[in-house]
Amino acid sequence: MTDYPQPPKWAETLIGRLAPEHLAEEIKGDLYELFLSDVKDFDESRARRRYLWRAIGFLTKRFFWKRLTQPNHNMTGSYFKMAKRSLLANKGTTAINVAGLVIGIASVLTIVSIVRFELSFDTFHTDAGNIYRMVRVSGADLSEFRTGIPYAVPPAMENISSIRKMTKLEYFGGASVDILSADGSFERQFVEEEGVVTVEPEFFEVIDFADSPIEWISGDPKTSLSEPGSLVVTRTIAKKYFGDDNPLGRTLRFQKAFDFKITGVIEDFPSNTDFPFTMLMSYSSMPLLFKDRMSDWVSSNDGHAVYVVLRNGVEVKEVEEQIAKIHAAHVAKDLSAHRHYFLQPLREVHFDPNFGTFSRRTITHETILALDLIALCLMMVACINYVNLSTAQSTLRSKEIGMRKIMGGSQKNLVVQFLTETLIVVLLAALAAVGLIGVFTPSLGSMLGLQVSINFSDSFFWLTLASIIAVFTICAGMYPALLISRFNPLKAIKNQFTTGRVAGVSLRKTLVVIQFTATQVLTVATFIVVAQMEFFRNVDMGFDRNATVITIRLLNNDRSLLSSFESELRRLPFVQNVAKSFTLPSGVDRNRNSRNIGNPGATNVQDYFPYEYSAIDENFLDLYGIRLLAGRNLTLADSGKNILVNEALMKNLGYTDPQDIVGAEVKLGGNDGKVHVVGVINNYYGNSLKERVDNIALDANTSRYRQVSVRLDLAADQDMTEVVTKLEQAWKSIYPEHVFQFRFLDENIAMFYEQELKYSRLFQLFSAMFVVIGCLGLYGLVSFVVNRKGKEIAVRKTLGASVRNIIIMFSREYVALIALSFALAVPIAWYGVNEWLMNFENHIDVQWWLFAAPGVIVLSIALGVVFIKSFNAAMANPVNKLRNE
Amino acid sequence: MSAPVYVGELEELIFSMVEVVGADAYGVSITRELEAQTGRVIMISSAHAALHRLEEKGFLKSKMGGASSARGGRRKRLFQITAFGRRALGDLRDMRYSTWVQLPNYLND
Repeated sequence: MTDYPQPPKWAETLIGRLAPEHLAEEIKGDLYELFLSDVKDFDESRARRRYLWRAIGFLTKRFFWKRLTQPNHNMTGSYFKMAKRSLLANKGTTAINVAGLVIGIASVLTIVSIVRFELSFDTFHTDAGNIYRMVRVSGADLSEFRTGIPYAVPPAMENISSIRKMTKLEYFGGASVDILSADGSFERQFVEEEGVVTVEPEFFEVIDFADSPIEWISGDPKTSLSEPGSLVVTRTIAKKYFGDDNPLGRTLRFQKAFDFKITGVIEDFPSNTDFPFTMLMSYSSMPLLFKDRMSDWVSSNDGHAVYVVLRNGVEVKEVEEQIAKIHAAHVAKDLSAHRHYFLQPLREVHFDPNFGTFSRRTITHETILALDLIALCLMMVACINYVNLSTAQSTLRSKEIGMRKIMGGSQKNLVVQFLTETLIVVLLAALAAVGLIGVFTPSLGSMLGLQVSINFSDSFFWLTLASIIAVFTICAGMYPALLISRFNPLKAIKNQFTTGRVAGVSLRKTLVVIQFTATQVLTVATFIVVAQMEFFRNVDMGFDRNATVITIRLLNNDRSLLSSFESELRRLPFVQNVAKSFTLPSGVDRNRNSRNIGNPGATNVQDYFPYEYSAIDENFLDLYGIRLLAGRNLTLADSGKNILVNEALMKNLGYTDPQDIVGAEVKLGGNDGKVHVVGVINNYYGNSLKERVDNIALDANTSRYRQVSVRLDLAADQDMTEVVTKLEQAWKSIYPEHVFQFRFLDENIAMFYEQELKYSRLFQLFSAMFVVIGCLGLYGLVSFVVNRKGKEIAVRKTLGASVRNIIIMFSREYVALIALSFALAVPIAWYGVNEWLMNFENHIDVQWWLFAAPGVIVLSIALGVVFIKSFNAAMANPVNKLRNE
Repeated sequence: MSAPVYVGELEELIFSMVEVVGADAYGVSITRELEAQTGRVIMISSAHAALHRLEEKGFLKSKMGGASSARGGRRKRLFQITAFGRRALGDLRDMRYSTWVQLPNYLND
């Protein structure tokens, strides 16, 4: 063969591929003829060059690219008809296929919606790319992240020329709000959990919601927020407080102390913003609220935030340096060395959990990545599932395919035919998925605590759906379509097949391994997440967390009212103990108030330790089961002069034996002077177990009580609602004008782990889906093998193999495949899980059974599937298989 | 004279070559004949393009001929003039002729 001169093979193939079908032969013929004569006239290499040149000539001709239109070959209708028939003929497989894809599509669609929602936070302001939040990072190791900016700092920044706009605001979150009638008397009280803020009129120039500006229903954006004591509320609040009455001009009293007059009503803020404001007070009222603190350069509330818009092309670093200079000029040297102001881009705000947001929602980029990965894996697993099932099914259709080919069906026809089938299955699945999402998202959203807003009128949603359908159709349909259409018709009719092999390994087996690796990674992760959650729920926090404790928030610390409330409570039969305190030992409701403490010799900032402060009464330790390690309990007589410290603080102050510190004198930072330590208590977790134990010091300053803890001793059949009603009655008899705000301690603590609980549920949900899809795929694979080996089984049975032998023959292979995928999954899962656990100061040890248990569970579920299918095959009467040859 | 016939210059040459070559008129033979008769060398692709164009216009018809080893076992497409094509060729010639005779004599020397 090689003796003959040959034109460039690839060029010839290319021309053959590209040319219109009916012209390919003559073109190749002519080119070859000319090539041979060229070989005679010149030499072979020149002939090859000329061949190429001529071939390129064809590519430039228009007729070469024209395709015959074949009106009588339009088979669109027929494709759909055939697809319908074959799908109906295999209802079981179709149902499994649709089910697998429904799960896949619904999950992907949901995840895409979630991710899109999270990514859309505050991207719609005019200067979005140029807005920065001022943040404060302090500590020697820069480990303290705060957003609160002392009040005196921003006014001093007015002169920085690189700052184009600046707006200050202070977010208070919740407040108690009294509606006053026209003559100033009390009318009704509301308690807002969130949304109360002071803003400047410029707020709406920086955070302008440019895409859909906040509409001013009444009032004026320029003037409504300029006067001290003015207030703008959103439509929802106006409706809630005043119904259809005109809210303008009405007066609201905040925290029983500060009166604000409504000067404007605005439309509600969108849900995808980290400025979840509902009641906006004028920033000019701040001096009324905070008096002399407005000139404070050092301390601040965390809610006091500053946003700036920089001029275009200004380096952020430059501005930060300018701010640092201003800061250094106004505060003591050791403070300016320890505290740094930075500018954080607004587009990072929603994704940085260090600083938090006003909406109290952040999502890290890692979480988004994890969600994306899960979506991708689900999609992949669902596609693999479809590929496995449809290639398995194709063996049953080999005769049909052979027939089609013999009757003149081209490979293209068959590919289109199979893609049409896939398309129909995917469309059905998509339809079901949309229905499923419509029904389940509301409950799913609340279960996962994720805001899943699926807007069916949003074109993006349908665009996503369309692209998901396209991707699924192509990914899942292409391989089976190409594989099946390539069957040699003669072999196909004789039922002799070989399917794809990659480097000697069946492609289907590879896919199964991939599928089960993904499944097992997720099940292992789920086990660990759940184990960690259990750990959080049950671990000893250093106080009695299992007691039924209701905590009630005080708005008024009048001592006589408080003691009559206490005796009122003690009169109730189910109340075991009552304690008053500044804050709770733990839980998200806890007021974190930190101050500095040091040994008497402390002079500069480094000598002091920050500690968490609380005032307690003599019942507090007993009620919460906190142990005294040395010294004595506080009594009311101790007031603010004597304190209890916890072990952690004791160690930091340089003592090792609790006995030694009793009686010692310590110095409080600021002007609080010196106090004596009278006792040491055990460490308890004031924060979540994600963090370390903090330094804690307690005193008995009665003027600082803000919480009442009520320990209940409930009979087994005691009705909780009745208990709460009785408590509320007691409250109303003492504080008729105050709303009864209470919480159960255990709920309060559980809220620490809300985020982790969401993950735990999310993982459980998705790992269940992976297992389901994985088993569907396995079912497909086993059916394929059983169908192919039908005769083999029959022969084995006739030769005396038992049902058990045959089942073992099948199962062995899958045990090996799943064991392999387990081996692959373990390191991946181990890595991921360790990364996650490192986030927590207190975490479980990764133990071997946390890997083994999910492995065994997945293996046994999968084996169950294999067993059912192979059992059927083994039980079949051999005659039925051997009869038709 | 019937409706005017629109044929490009190269097309016209190839059109006539189909008649000149006769029974074995296909891409390669036509380019060779053209070269022999006029010294003009054209790309085989141009010949194909012109032939297909003429076929589209209805002047030529084609059928697949026999295979030969000189073509690597591939068949050739043989072109043949149609009755309509023959009339059109006649019209072309008549039109050229009637124009030529009107030109001054020195060109006919």
